[in-house]
Amino acid sequence: MADFEIKDLRASVEGRQILKGVSLAINKGEVHAVMGPNGSGKSTLSHTLMGHPGYTVDGGEVRFKGQNVLELEPDERARLGMFLALQYPVVVPGISMANFLRTALNAHRGYDGKDKSKMVTPKEFRSLLKDELEVLHMDDSFLSRYINDGFSGGEKKRAEILQMAVLKPEIAILDETDSGLDIDSIKFVAEEVNRMRGPNLGVLIITHYTRVLEFIKPDFVHVLVDGKFVLSGGPEVADRLEKTGYSEWGKEEAAQPQEVA
Amino acid sequence: MAINAETLDQLQGEPGWLRNVRRKALESYERLPAPSKTDEEWRRTDVSGLDPNKFSKLEHLDGQKLILPEALPKGVILMPLRQAAQDHPDLVEPRLFSLVHADRDRFAALHAALFTGGTFLYVPDGVVVEQPIIGQHFSHEAGTSVLPHTLIVAGRGARFDYLDEYIAENEDEAGYRTGSAEIFVGEGAQVGYVAVQKWGRNTWHLADQRAELQKDSTLRLFNVTLGGRFSKSRVEASLAGEGANAELKAIYLASGQQFFDFHTLQDHRVGNTRSDLLFKGALQDVARTVYAGLIRIEKHAARSDAYQANRNLVLSDKAKATSIPMLEIDNNDVRCTHGATVGPVDPEHLFYLRSRGIPEPTAKRMLIQGFFGDVLDRIPFEHARKLVEAELEARIG
Repeated sequence: MADFEIKDLRASVEGRQILKGVSLAINKGEVHAVMGPNGSGKSTLSHTLMGHPGYTVDGGEVRFKGQNVLELEPDERARLGMFLALQYPVVVPGISMANFLRTALNAHRGYDGKDKSKMVTPKEFRSLLKDELEVLHMDDSFLSRYINDGFSGGEKKRAEILQMAVLKPEIAILDETDSGLDIDSIKFVAEEVNRMRGPNLGVLIITHYTRVLEFIKPDFVHVLVDGKFVLSGGPEVADRLEKTGYSEWGKEEAAQPQEVA
Repeated sequence: MAINAETLDQLQGEPGWLRNVRRKALESYERLPAPSKTDEEWRRTDVSGLDPNKFSKLEHLDGQKLILPEALPKGVILMPLRQAAQDHPDLVEPRLFSLVHADRDRFAALHAALFTGGTFLYVPDGVVVEQPIIGQHFSHEAGTSVLPHTLIVAGRGARFDYLDEYIAENEDEAGYRTGSAEIFVGEGAQVGYVAVQKWGRNTWHLADQRAELQKDSTLRLFNVTLGGRFSKSRVEASLAGEGANAELKAIYLASGQQFFDFHTLQDHRVGNTRSDLLFKGALQDVARTVYAGLIRIEKHAARSDAYQANRNLVLSDKAKATSIPMLEIDNNDVRCTHGATVGPVDPEHLFYLRSRGIPEPTAKRMLIQGFFGDVLDRIPFEHARKLVEAELEARIG
């Protein structure tokens, strides 16, 4: 039994079935990449795993720490140790990043406004963030800004990884964290993820392109097409996709960004 | 006991001119009909259950507590309005009820006839008061009328901040309450005015806040409406001099069976004037709110900017917010925007916060506070900002 096990997961959006039976076993310490062309169900997979209300589970289960996480609320999943870095992080005006992060951290520690000993102190909070901000090349002013408000694409993604670093999940799902990023941002993000890699963290990288996998080396690569895995293997699967794209499954899409010469 | 000429006997020791003002207002009250549902302003606002006769006992005749800065600059006059009527008739008589007209409707007339506590503040030309001046108005008893009236006069280039706080000692008391203000902003003056209405949850509350701005003056007015079973506030600014700038902001939090009505007016009487209005409210339970705002730009008021927005966060299926923005523009050379939104918490926002482990109730609370965040930043001075933040924190939980 793996640490995090997806069994025959089927899910739909607005009555249309997208995931048609996905199974995947992730152990802590491993990095898995799920690759797929547009519309293959990548986002449905990430959102269903985290419990987004717009996605309906039609069958299957996801076992983590002895529980079927599909029966849990999104915040319960997070407190159990799951994390989803969103492809399109939401702008939430009026709430500062600092307030957001502190509240999330307190929730993870079980602080409910009563037992102050569980509360993260301002000093602890600052020291916790200091290193992470540095690795991600972000300055303190991030913390006083509203959540993702006015952030560039790269800043938003870095802010997602910052949240991950602070919350220290055991299973992290990175949903197209590389999309729309310049190469520097990908490097900062990869450096931070690599820092966190280790026996206490399992990672699921969801991506269209192989590029990010040059910086975060996966142990396993799975190819998702039309809601099912069509190929699983080691890092060599990514190399194969890099050359031929998704053409062997009838999808004329490259697996690397089309660079402008 | 019915309200009649004898009701005025509760108000002893006032100068003759004020007795006359009150008598005339009482006549208007007796003459004016109750607002009718066919009147657009009262179409959604039901006052058929309000019988002022039930509240003919006037409470708290000089009832405010003034919290003064340590030393007021020379020439500043700050005292209960009724005392000012006696001591400074030259300053008070020509202005009292000249912006908030006593014969506008039945309730304005009643307020003028029977106003009890309230403050007179006069800041002479060129005088700056650094610390905010605070007037606290308390109600102690159920079944009474508490009708404070604030009269503020800012001389040329004067600068100061003033806070009216309306406080019920008992949240559940029923009664009739107002809390009106007339604000005269002289040339080049800069005035911050905040009104925080926390009357009891079973009271009727009707208030008029109206300002007149002279050349190059700035008014930053902030209305906070939290109390009352029924609350109707008119917030109006008349831009009478070029370069005048009125910021009109409000937040309201309606829960339980509360009904709030807001009527606003941005009246650009001359050109090169600016007004910026933002009213933001959150509704819970079965609360209802109505916002109706008018931007009026008169014929000669070219190159004026007017902005108006009303945003409502509806947190319950049974709560209902109605928003009616209106424009009346008689000049083409102006910049004008208006907009209204009514909607629930954004489910994507809620999911995002919850996906980080924040429980739903906490996430919702943060989103409500966040919704008010940008407007809270516009509260003109620190003391009021802290007060309002604490009030919201306590009420949102």
